[in-house]
Amino acid sequence: MKLSKGYRIFQVFNLLFMLIIIAIMLYPFWYLVAQSFSSQKYIYMGEVSILPKGFNVQTYKAVMSERQFWIGYKNTLIYTALGTFINVAMTAMFAYPLSKKRLIGQKFWIKFAVFTMYFSGGLIPNYLLVNSLHMKNTIWAIVIPGAISTFNLMIMKNSFEAIPQELEEAASIDGMNTYGIFFKIIIPLSVPIIATMILFYAVGNWNSWFSAMLYLDEKKLQPVSLYLRGLIAGATQTSDSVTMSSDAQAQIASNIKSTTMVLTVLPIICVYPFLQKYFVSGIMIGAVKG
Amino acid sequence: MLKQNKNLKPAALAAALALLTGSLAGCGGESISSSSSAETTSASSSESSSQSSEFKAGDQFYATEPLKLTMLYNDNPSYPISDNWIIWSEIAKKTNVTLDLVVVPLSDFEQKRSLLISSGEAPQLMPKTYAGSEVQFIPSGVILPVSDYVDKMPNYMQKVEQWNMKNDLKQIMQKDGKYYLLSGLHEKPNANYSYLVREDIVKELGMQDPNTYDDLYTLLKAMKTKYPDVYPLSDRYSGKNMLGIVASAFGVCAGWGKGDYKVFNWDTEKFEYAPTSQNYKDFLTYMNKLVKEGLLDPESFTQTDDQAIGKFSNGKSFVISTNTTHAQEMLKTMESTLGQGNFELTQIVPPIGPAGNYISGSRLENGIMINSSVAKDPRCDEIFHFVDWLWYSDEGQTFCKWGIENVTYKTVNGTKQLMDDVTFNGINPTGTKDLRKDFGFSNGTFTYGGSQELKYSLMNDREKAFQQAVFEKREVKNVDPPVLMDEDQREQANMIVTPLTDYVDQMTLEFILGTKSLEKDWDTFVSECKAKGCDDYINMCNQVYEETKDILNK
Amino acid sequence: MANSFKQIKRQNNFLIRIKKDWQLYTFLLLPVLYFIIFKYGPMVGNIIAFRKFQPGGSPFGEKWVGLKYFKMFIADSNFWRIFLNTLTLSVQTLIFTFPGPVIFALLLNELKNVAFKRVVQTISYLPHFISTVILVGLIFELTAANGPINHLISVLGGEPVKFMQDPKYFHSVYVLSRMWQTLGWGTIVYLSALTTISPDLYEAAKIDGANRWQQTLHVTLPGISSTIIVLLIMNIGSMLSVSFEQILLMYSPLTYQKADVISTYVYRIGLSQNSFSYASAIGLFESVIGLVLVTTANSISKKITDSSLW
Repeated sequence: MKLSKGYRIFQVFNLLFMLIIIAIMLYPFWYLVAQSFSSQKYIYMGEVSILPKGFNVQTYKAVMSERQFWIGYKNTLIYTALGTFINVAMTAMFAYPLSKKRLIGQKFWIKFAVFTMYFSGGLIPNYLLVNSLHMKNTIWAIVIPGAISTFNLMIMKNSFEAIPQELEEAASIDGMNTYGIFFKIIIPLSVPIIATMILFYAVGNWNSWFSAMLYLDEKKLQPVSLYLRGLIAGATQTSDSVTMSSDAQAQIASNIKSTTMVLTVLPIICVYPFLQKYFVSGIMIGAVKG
Repeated sequence: MLKQNKNLKPAALAAALALLTGSLAGCGGESISSSSSAETTSASSSESSSQSSEFKAGDQFYATEPLKLTMLYNDNPSYPISDNWIIWSEIAKKTNVTLDLVVVPLSDFEQKRSLLISSGEAPQLMPKTYAGSEVQFIPSGVILPVSDYVDKMPNYMQKVEQWNMKNDLKQIMQKDGKYYLLSGLHEKPNANYSYLVREDIVKELGMQDPNTYDDLYTLLKAMKTKYPDVYPLSDRYSGKNMLGIVASAFGVCAGWGKGDYKVFNWDTEKFEYAPTSQNYKDFLTYMNKLVKEGLLDPESFTQTDDQAIGKFSNGKSFVISTNTTHAQEMLKTMESTLGQGNFELTQIVPPIGPAGNYISGSRLENGIMINSSVAKDPRCDEIFHFVDWLWYSDEGQTFCKWGIENVTYKTVNGTKQLMDDVTFNGINPTGTKDLRKDFGFSNGTFTYGGSQELKYSLMNDREKAFQQAVFEKREVKNVDPPVLMDEDQREQANMIVTPLTDYVDQMTLEFILGTKSLEKDWDTFVSECKAKGCDDYINMCNQVYEETKDILNK
Repeated sequence: MANSFKQIKRQNNFLIRIKKDWQLYTFLLLPVLYFIIFKYGPMVGNIIAFRKFQPGGSPFGEKWVGLKYFKMFIADSNFWRIFLNTLTLSVQTLIFTFPGPVIFALLLNELKNVAFKRVVQTISYLPHFISTVILVGLIFELTAANGPINHLISVLGGEPVKFMQDPKYFHSVYVLSRMWQTLGWGTIVYLSALTTISPDLYEAAKIDGANRWQQTLHVTLPGISSTIIVLLIMNIGSMLSVSFEQILLMYSPLTYQKADVISTYVYRIGLSQNSFSYASAIGLFESVIGLVLVTTANSISKKITDSSLW
């Protein structure tokens, strides 16, 4: 097949464009890494931009010897694992009946769910609710209130709908009940969408800080994102009055911030490429149909 | 519905309990008007704890039986809180009180506090409240008018008396003549902020540290002559600290100290609008001269702190404004940039201006709000005694600051010293354990204010020298009285003040940077201020001041 | 009579169906309970927009005040500023982040080397996975006075720019960061839509003498146009919900002027100034606009493309 000259020129530009995109996508992360290995002196002078300057691993040692960092990390792992399990289980549990035409009031239940996407209670009612259920300062305040994301629910429902009805009917004739069908037929056929859901929810849980900020008052329960937020925001606060003691400000060096950020994103960066094939097909099933 | 029940429960329970034991109104005497309950009050307080009702200044507080208090804790990322801090167990040991903490990160402190209070979940003690932020909670009655309760706080009263702080406390007084915040009390104002100067350059030029603003000008001029391509003064804090201290030396206000740009004339006992005065013009003229002659970096007002630090720490500027803590940090930074021995720093005493040999500063520090529920608590007296002991008694303050003898400090010839392996803010730099990070002492939640002697006791030499010099050489100016407005008046005032202040802020910078000329544009500026209602506002303040004088002088 | 008989019959029918299929209905139990408690429960709390809420008092407010807080918002001197900020920010975000993934997907589709294409895709998904906290941390580091962007500017001879302090840059920084985060992720849908276009169509176009550009124009684009339209309409529907967390973490008093949107204003008014009733009213106002937008978008979508969210 002969390619036109114009198309070949286009190919070259396209390739260049892709390289630029790669650079833009990666540079911020690279910069963090460079800063995390640099000494604060050069960062102050604005001399770190591509390669670390004053290379050292002291910052890593310092951050990794911080007890609270590891406590936060451990908490984040627990919240992510338990939270994601609850998320996926609850979402699948709801999505399955929603995907069935034979469900009485199917349309109503779908509206019942979708409505909450666009209309919700305020911060205070939510806070009071969690409080009155005695979930404050427990893991449940983190994993329960956001158990189902309606958006993900719809994706999962669409994906269940795409499974051929005949399979279920055949199983039903063979005497399998609904539970059996769900666990032995639907679940095995839904590995891609489940993997996608796990990834979506897990990333959300890993990254979440707001609910932890609201509901967790005990340091030993706080996730790493809250710790990080403290480092980043602490330094941006400036006192606005002379009488304010200097204690109202916290200055955290850039290299410490960078190191903490690098250590926090690392697990996700390492995991997501391996799940790529699942989430791509998961989204395809869920969204294109929608 | 479920919620409501839950919310009611603790209150109901407490009420029931109180009825049973007959000790309702433990110390909420003022709020309960019926005579029968007044009787129970006196009866119960005499029987409940004979020891604590006789609590006197200087006594060691120890709760009659274990007491658990909930407290808001502001978690500063520079010294993240730890359950293992010895301070917690030591407080329990000394006072029989365990603190049940609600830990909130510094970054979201105000929002979280508001959320807790609004949802009815406010802890009993809420320290680290800056004056002014308590006002929003007053109308709902969630916080106690603590001025009604200070008679239960002998140490607090003693300090107020000894240091003659009645006038200072008027700063936080509300229109009802009460105050709602237990402020930290300083014997002398917090003289933290001034300029950090490269002493080696001063010596190199054969000059001395400036004592007046004229001296400062001469010094900067000499620096500029020697190093023509630097701006000798390049400021951080967006120049707001510098504007504040220079303006105060000229008898006006600006920058961080601007407030609403009014100043009180103690001779006429009237407020005046500062920006339209001759003093303000003189202040602007001085600042403008610095910019015009290349002595002050015009970027001072817009650059970020990091930029300013970068310039100073790399020898691209020689003078920068600072507080004592940041001075210490700068020292550390510069040991890595310029290298030890290649520079020398001094934090100078704030120079004198035309307004005379004064510094201004408040003697009040951030403080504690107390939840109204405490008034109904059967052990209310003890709670106040505890607060009084921990935050206001000499022993309590020393304990919070220094920690425990032979653990964090030792006494040598009658003076306290940190143990050799304990480091703090530049003292014992080689120590392996940090007084704040590893023990929890000298922690911003518990440690502020106090006697000058106590403050000096744990300062590094540099800081101590600075503070001593300030109080040796300067006198403290009276703080302006507050204007006790009610909500409507405040709203009305804000309508004038907000746009007016914006305008003055903007013009101040333009005059200083020279984009507006002091000769040509000054009159327009003054008339524009008047058009925006500065006179109306000042009249209003004076009127309110006259009307509320009685409350203030009570 | 006949009617009620029918009803009884229908009810019986229902009961029989439920009884026969009861296992399916057990699936609903937990999730519906969850929705009622955690999603619908707090909605009841919105009532405080019409009632005066006292800190520490009843979560449903103390006394009825009607539309007082809504009127207050319309009269609020900040109303127009915040409303405009919300509008301009969301429109800008839509305009700049929406076409990116379409174009990027088309370009990716032209890559011949499968391995390279895979690498580019994987890398472009990366920003999607980082948290708002870190995203904002990154923005602060990159735009710092001594950070790399200002470094580049000064190498090119420009004056350093205070991106995070000067309100006039806030919108650009926000929109650019959204673009960065969504560009790669957004392509997934289009790329999968592209695979559904039959190769026969391209063959036919080639036979007709169409070059690559013409093929793109006449085969590829029409092939994914329905996907584009659906997504566009859905995006318009949720347009107003600008990323609250990101703005909250990014802004400062210096940039309030440009950065304040309805949701952040609600947060500040509610929590920093302690007027929850007022904050709820503003929040409700936003919800209602959002609901109107999304239902309109949905019904248009139903008519035009025959696909909808519900």
